[in-house]
Order: sequence, then structure tokens, then C-alpha cells
Amino acid sequence: MRETRSDTNVSTGLRSRALAMAAAALAVTMIAAPPAHAQAQSAQTSAAKPQEQPKPAPKLAGKPDFTGVWDRQAVPVQPNARTAGGSAQSPNGPQFAGTAPPIKPEFKDAYDAEVKRLADAEKRGEPATSQNTMCLPQGMPAMMLAIFPMEVIQTPKQVTIIEEAFTQIRRLYIGEDPPKVEDAEPGFYGHTGAKWDGDTLVAETVGLKTNVLYRNVPHSENLRIHERLKMIDADHFEDEITYVDPQYLTGPWTWKWTYQRRNGYKMLEYVCEDNREFADPVTGQQRMRFKTKPDNKQ
Amino acid sequence: MRFSKWARRMPALVLVALGFSAASAAWAHHSFAMYDNEHQVKLKGKVTDFQWTNPHVYIELEGVDQYGEDKSVKSWTIECANPGILDRIGWKFNMIHKGDEITAIVAPLRSGEPGALLKQVTLADGNKFTNGVPAGPPLIQ
Repeated sequence: MRETRSDTNVSTGLRSRALAMAAAALAVTMIAAPPAHAQAQSAQTSAAKPQEQPKPAPKLAGKPDFTGVWDRQAVPVQPNARTAGGSAQSPNGPQFAGTAPPIKPEFKDAYDAEVKRLADAEKRGEPATSQNTMCLPQGMPAMMLAIFPMEVIQTPKQVTIIEEAFTQIRRLYIGEDPPKVEDAEPGFYGHTGAKWDGDTLVAETVGLKTNVLYRNVPHSENLRIHERLKMIDADHFEDEITYVDPQYLTGPWTWKWTYQRRNGYKMLEYVCEDNREFADPVTGQQRMRFKTKPDNKQ
Repeated sequence: MRFSKWARRMPALVLVALGFSAASAAWAHHSFAMYDNEHQVKLKGKVTDFQWTNPHVYIELEGVDQYGEDKSVKSWTIECANPGILDRIGWKFNMIHKGDEITAIVAPLRSGEPGALLKQVTLADGNKFTNGVPAGPPLIQ
């Protein structure tokens, strides 16, 4: 039946390589399939305008302008994909847009074991907690999943991306290189430099906390995330994302997400104000906190 | 009138046959695996609180299980999706009030605690709302 999913995770405080997987144990589980609203809008659009030719992308200072509100588009289900570990955008899920992460052999067993542990917990109905359970944002690159609408604001020198969920914000500085890793204060979103390669905005991000994980894939402080952002037409753009981390990966790990314009939408605020999910201190499982129940067993 | 278990599950079987659950996978704030989707419950009662917050909206309900043996009133905490998801499917922040009589189809916590995930709510005026795609559809009526 419904599969719930670990897609991104963040743990707090654990930094060593040996504990990276254990960190994931405390930090996973969110469903991350294409947003329903994106699918619905897509269906409406194609039904309403079957014959219309796509319009060219708008321009700003001679370059494509990504400004607007966007929904990520659905990724086709891969019929032969392994689904252990959950559905949606999970590491082995049927809707993941890329290949399996090329994790080095010395880390692969621990990674596989962790994905299996989380999947088994889900199947038992005893899900592990996640960064979301702790009201933490997804960070990069998971915020580009655009689980809720995503606003892009572009000026000639900067692209600012705002994800409605958790009010996540990142800034791509056009014409700049990313800082050196040793100068980049680690964070959830990192530090991004970007340059134009023709009509493609090529971005590079460094400075990601090693406990901000995507699909449970471990990374070092030297992780570099490359992106190629390209307008397809006036109402669609794509972001090709590549993980490069020679410490943990045997090669680049690449996938592509596409986005569809959501016309007329005004972004909502999102403050994680009253999170009632918590990690059981004994089992680590996700549980519900009750406010005033006399039979509350917390 | 109490439905047989088989009859109550018929809609579920139909939906599965149509592949609905696979098509509707979507994101949620956290895993819903702690809720028992296969044994949904229909609650009817009075709202004691309606909280419009992120990461989730909550309905506090003094409710009676319409199909259960136990007809006592219990205090339920019913988790809904977040304001954004609900806004986008037509909910409004002030459409439920303290004191309203509502009916809710929910997936209860597997732990047996009086908490649940909303599947569908019927307001006092008869209007029905689902809890959005991530939470999944009601499997009973």
C-alpha cells in the first residue's frame, strides 16, 4: 500500500564518517514524490492547450529569466527500479530521476544496510524520525525537490530561490566562483557561485554540512554540487544536478529535475510552529505528541 | 448501521485495482507509517480545537467511533496536512470552529493512542474535504 519515504536526512551533531550512517538512522523519512499540485496542473495545462506551441523563455539582461513560481514535475516511474527503501524519490524508489549513487565500496555496505533498516522500520509501521520531524529544513540539494511551490527571483547578479516548505532560501551569485571550501562556513544550503554558459546558468555549491544528507548518501566537507539550470521554454526549466565527492563516491552522481510554471500563485509563509511528531527517547521511533490528553503516555 | 468489514473495504480494493495509491504518492512532512491505513475509523463528534499551523493542521475532536463496539466519547487528536496543501485543495483557515459537529474518517495510530491521520472530513454543512494527496483517500464511508 502507501509507501512512505526517506528522501533526505539531517542528523544533529554527529560528524564522523563512521557515524554518518548512524546519523541517518535518526534522520530520515519523508515522502518525496512529485507534488500532487504539479501533476494536477500539468494535466490541466495539457488538456486545455493541446495545440499551442511553447513560448520562448523570457529574458533579463539578454539571458534567460527564471523568475516566477514553479512546481517540480513528476518523474516517470521506472518499472524495474528497486523499491526497497520506499517509494517516491527514495534512493531506490521507482520515481528517482537518476542512477543509483556511486558510493565507494568501503561505504556501500553501511549505506545499503541503513536504507534497508529504514525501509524495514517503515514496513513495520515504526518509522524513524527525520530532519522534518525535528522541524529542520531539507537543505541542498533536497530543497530543489520543491515539495511545495518554489519561487525564483532573478536579477542580473543573483538568482534567489525560495522554497515554500520550511521557507528555505538559497542564493546563486552570478559572475562569482564559490568560495574555497576552507573559507565556506558549512550550512544547509551552502555557498553558490554561478556563471552563464550560453543560455545555461552553471552553478557550483560548496560548504554543505556533512549531516545534511540527500537520500542517505554520505558526503564529506569537500562535496561540490554542480548544477546546470536551463529554460526549456517560457513555462518550463530544468536543473541538472551533479554530486562530486571523491571521498565517498567513485564518480559523479547526476540527475535532473524539471519544473513547470505555476501562474498566479502567491507564496505562503511556512513557520514550523507546532510540530507534534517526536522521536521516542527509547526506541527512536516517530510518535505523536498530545497536548492535553490524560492518557498521554509521553 | 454497521457495515461488514468486507463491504467497508470494498472501496479500498477498487482503488488499489486502479493503481490509485501508486499514482498518488506525494510528499508529506513525515512518514505516515505510524498510522494504520488499513483499519480506518469513522468518528463523529464535536470539535474542541482547530489549529491552523505548520507543519500540520490539527483537529481536536470529542468523537465516537461510528462502527466500533465502544460507543464512548474519546478525545482524538487528528492530524491534517499542512496549511499550504490544504489551501491548494480548497480548505480555508477558518472553515472549522470550536463546537462544530463534524464527521471524520481517519487512520488511527498503530500504538492505540487516540491520535489519527485525517482522510476525509465532513463539515456541519455537509461539505466534504480530503486531506490532500499525501495523506491518501478514505477507504471507508
